[in-house]
Amino acid sequence: MTQQRPSMHIGVIVTLALRNIRRNLRRTILTATALIIGGALLIFTLLLSDGTHEQWIDSGVRTGSGHVTIERPEFRLSRKIEDRLPASTSPAVMTALKSPDVSEHVTAVFTRLSVNGLASSPAGARPAQILGIDPVSEAAVSPLDDQVVDGRYLESDDRLAAYVGGGLADRLDLRLGSRLVLTAQDAKKDIAGQLVRVVGIFRSGLPELDQSVIHIPLATAGDWLGAGHDVTNIGVIVDDSIVVPSLVRHLQQALADPIARGDATVMGWREAMPALRDAVLIDEWGAYILFGILFVIIGFGIVNTVLMSVLNRHREFGVLQALGLTPRQTGAVVLVEGLTLTAVGGVVGVGLGLVFTWFLMSDGLDMSQLNSTMDNLQFGGVAIDPVVYPVFRTTRVIQSVGYILLIGGVASLYPAFRATTIDVAESMKFER
Amino acid sequence: MSESNNHAVRTDAVWKVFKQEAEEVQAVRDVSLTIGAGEFTAIAGPSGSGKTTLLNLIGGLTRPTRGQIWVAGEELSQMSTGALAQLRLKQIGFIFQAYNLLPVLSAMENAEFPMLLQGVEARERADRVRRLFARTGMAGLEDRRPGKLSGGQQQRVAIVRAVASKPALVLADEPTANLDSSSSESLLEVMAELNLNLGVTFVFATHDDRVMKRARRLIRMVDGAIDSDEIKT
Repeated sequence: MTQQRPSMHIGVIVTLALRNIRRNLRRTILTATALIIGGALLIFTLLLSDGTHEQWIDSGVRTGSGHVTIERPEFRLSRKIEDRLPASTSPAVMTALKSPDVSEHVTAVFTRLSVNGLASSPAGARPAQILGIDPVSEAAVSPLDDQVVDGRYLESDDRLAAYVGGGLADRLDLRLGSRLVLTAQDAKKDIAGQLVRVVGIFRSGLPELDQSVIHIPLATAGDWLGAGHDVTNIGVIVDDSIVVPSLVRHLQQALADPIARGDATVMGWREAMPALRDAVLIDEWGAYILFGILFVIIGFGIVNTVLMSVLNRHREFGVLQALGLTPRQTGAVVLVEGLTLTAVGGVVGVGLGLVFTWFLMSDGLDMSQLNSTMDNLQFGGVAIDPVVYPVFRTTRVIQSVGYILLIGGVASLYPAFRATTIDVAESMKFER
Repeated sequence: MSESNNHAVRTDAVWKVFKQEAEEVQAVRDVSLTIGAGEFTAIAGPSGSGKTTLLNLIGGLTRPTRGQIWVAGEELSQMSTGALAQLRLKQIGFIFQAYNLLPVLSAMENAEFPMLLQGVEARERADRVRRLFARTGMAGLEDRRPGKLSGGQQQRVAIVRAVASKPALVLADEPTANLDSSSSESLLEVMAELNLNLGVTFVFATHDDRVMKRARRLIRMVDGAIDSDEIKT
């Protein structure tokens, strides 16, 4: 007699499973429809959510310290000029960013000389976050230059110009052309003052910016604070936040010596902006929990469909075992049925979801149409654009299909187990 | 080589006791018998006599409470579930009262099924089934699903399924019970012909007089025990 080949059994199992799926078409279609809808919703929500998060992150890092920031370890807390980056660090960073491994993802680099100080006018004095910036590189990064309500943004040949937040301007009674004095501790730890004139006023919608931020030319800040051409931080903007971890590793390798000396640290946005990180995480986990609940419900639907199929075919499973299939192989038939149903429904659903998402990728989804309060919304210290654009990520497609298959596999386990436990002789009793 | 290797079936003091709530039901009591290769044997008796249970024991579909059973020289009582499945696949063909064809497979695919599990090559499978279909009057119906076949036709497919894989014996549990007399006679003719010309061993559980008449050996059971064992001349 010909030797048995295990592959024959697998082929038989799959054939039986596929044909059995077609037997009760209505039940199969109903369950598959739930999976299709679930799969489409899942991928659409994930990609839209990723796009929303990408916008939050982009908005946050542009008003903050960049996707990646290089600064001295002490500076984050002290905000003192004495904790600025050594002069040798900037060239090393620029060289590292030109590396082919990372340069294709780098869209902008900016340098700042930042200090906490006091802004004074005849109307009073207020604490201020004073940023010495290069107008050209800053304009490529920050949205503040577009949020001018009076006057203009700083220009390259400005010397004693200041670009002031609207909330601060209100409190200090500042208008275009008004003079104000900036006071802070300089590099020699003396209190130094600098007179500047308002050339522009902005309103971002974020109180923490409008009530405290002042931009002045980098050279003016360097002279005033005795820092020369030094900076307190270098920020990097990339095209997709997903490359941040690899960029951080790359820069950490390039700056290994200054990092070892304690002269520099490289941080991704998650480390540098924990409030934004937490906001993104909370939103992500909220979606995961919601979908977890949805798919548990769909999973029960799959259990019901597959289990009903098993209970209606007790005799048939008995026959299969009488003919030579083992209980485990009988269970495998049921498992393959459940997985096939899930895979087809899931793949079709994810496919449909991708098609629908694709249509939104260019024009985005205007959430303010659904909720008028979305026009002026903040979350995690970031202004939220009501128009959200999904982003395509292959990992999300794989995750979605994988998750659906997992649900289908788990949901099919009990029915498969039931199929293995039938009493063969009992199942084939003929009922008169 | 033990004596049991020369027989298709041998049972030694086999008991099967079922527990039903507080009661014990002795479905098979102390049955010892031997069935040789090529026999055409009927196990007859009224309902509840234990004939189906005995067939299930011989077929490895249920385990004896006590005693031993050999099929084609292999002793069943210590076999694992997987080993019993293998034994059924290699050595035993089944014909059921309710036909029990797989509804999602065609007549041809149903008949080929055990050989598919055995790993028989596709061409040989098809050849064997087509020859047997021709012998059993099923030629031309290969592609029909069971739902499109009459009872008699379905039972013929079941016979081919049982015989095509060349088992040591075929166990038929009331194969004619659901058929009219004409179909029953015709079916018995087929099985007798296969027994005579191919040497297939048939063991029937039946209370059908027609089967009992055709059988060359008649074992009668009453209340789980063998009442008589007659070899007809």
